[in-house]
Amino acid sequence: MSFATRLFALAFAVCAAGCSTPPSDSRYVQTALPNRAEFPPVGQLLALRCGTLDCHGTTFRNLRIYGSAGMRLAATDSPFVPTCDTSNEDDQDYLSVVGLEPETMSAVVNGGDPGMLTMVRKARGSEAHKGGQIWIVGDASDACLTSWLEGHADAAVCATAAASFLPAPTSNPLTQCFVSP
Amino acid sequence: MSIRLRVSLVTLLVTLVACDPVQSDAVAALGGEAPGVRRGPLHRPGQPCLVCHDGSLGSPEGFSVAGTVFERIDGASGANGVTVLLEDAAGAKKSATTNTAGNFYVLSSQWHPRYPLTVSISPPSGPAITMQSLIGWSGSCATCHTPPVGPDSAGPVAIELEDGGTPP
Repeated sequence: MSFATRLFALAFAVCAAGCSTPPSDSRYVQTALPNRAEFPPVGQLLALRCGTLDCHGTTFRNLRIYGSAGMRLAATDSPFVPTCDTSNEDDQDYLSVVGLEPETMSAVVNGGDPGMLTMVRKARGSEAHKGGQIWIVGDASDACLTSWLEGHADAAVCATAAASFLPAPTSNPLTQCFVSP
Repeated sequence: MSIRLRVSLVTLLVTLVACDPVQSDAVAALGGEAPGVRRGPLHRPGQPCLVCHDGSLGSPEGFSVAGTVFERIDGASGANGVTVLLEDAAGAKKSATTNTAGNFYVLSSQWHPRYPLTVSISPPSGPAITMQSLIGWSGSCATCHTPPVGPDSAGPVAIELEDGGTPP
């Protein structure tokens, strides 16, 4: 066999090995999920800070956030009408968060470092993010998200964080929507 | 000048002026100028200004924040003389005033805000109106404030609602 033939055969083998098809039953079932019942204060923070219409309040993002101050889920709703996030929007936001990186999410809920999640790293600014650094490690917003992921949600710290992102807090109608700790 | 250097320079030039098809499509989607309105501060009210005014090579002068304030939420006529007060995440403030088309703009050479921004508008008469949510990263009001009001838009920026009241 000539050198050229060998080279061609090798290239063919590499190309052939590079092709793959997914297994017929390759669905991943999440082994662990963060607490849905404790999500609303977290969702409220995400809706306020991340879910504006020019950021994650759009269907063009993988992480889609619905909420009063951004994109609404129901076709009949519009920003601030109704004033507070709906339970259906909470459901969708929860599914969006837990479904982004299902394997990693399970690992985090099972005791892994929350920083394993891309959304946590993007918010902290340790990974490239169109919106830049959103918060810093250990501040109220970061603690709100990570404490929920770690299984000890802190509604009070979430409320503190959300309030810090509320324009005109004394007159903002969203104040009435804050989930009480 | 050597051939190699010339080729490198041509390649560099071509790279610099290369078209971005996404941006080109976005510009094309805006359509042409309105009849009788020249290019300038009064043109294209209600459109996302930074699609063209993005400061890139060959584009018109770059804006950091720009938009249109209308008299009413139907977007039929611009509101003149409205003061737009912007504040960035670092507390830096910048104001601009709308012209007869309702347009305002802040040049990117004058202000580089750190997002998110908050904004309020003050008409010549009447109370100031504060936007109740943050501006995440887009300097064009019309990125989000597009007609009609719906699940993904609060409608055009206006100083008066259809019922005569003011926005929340």
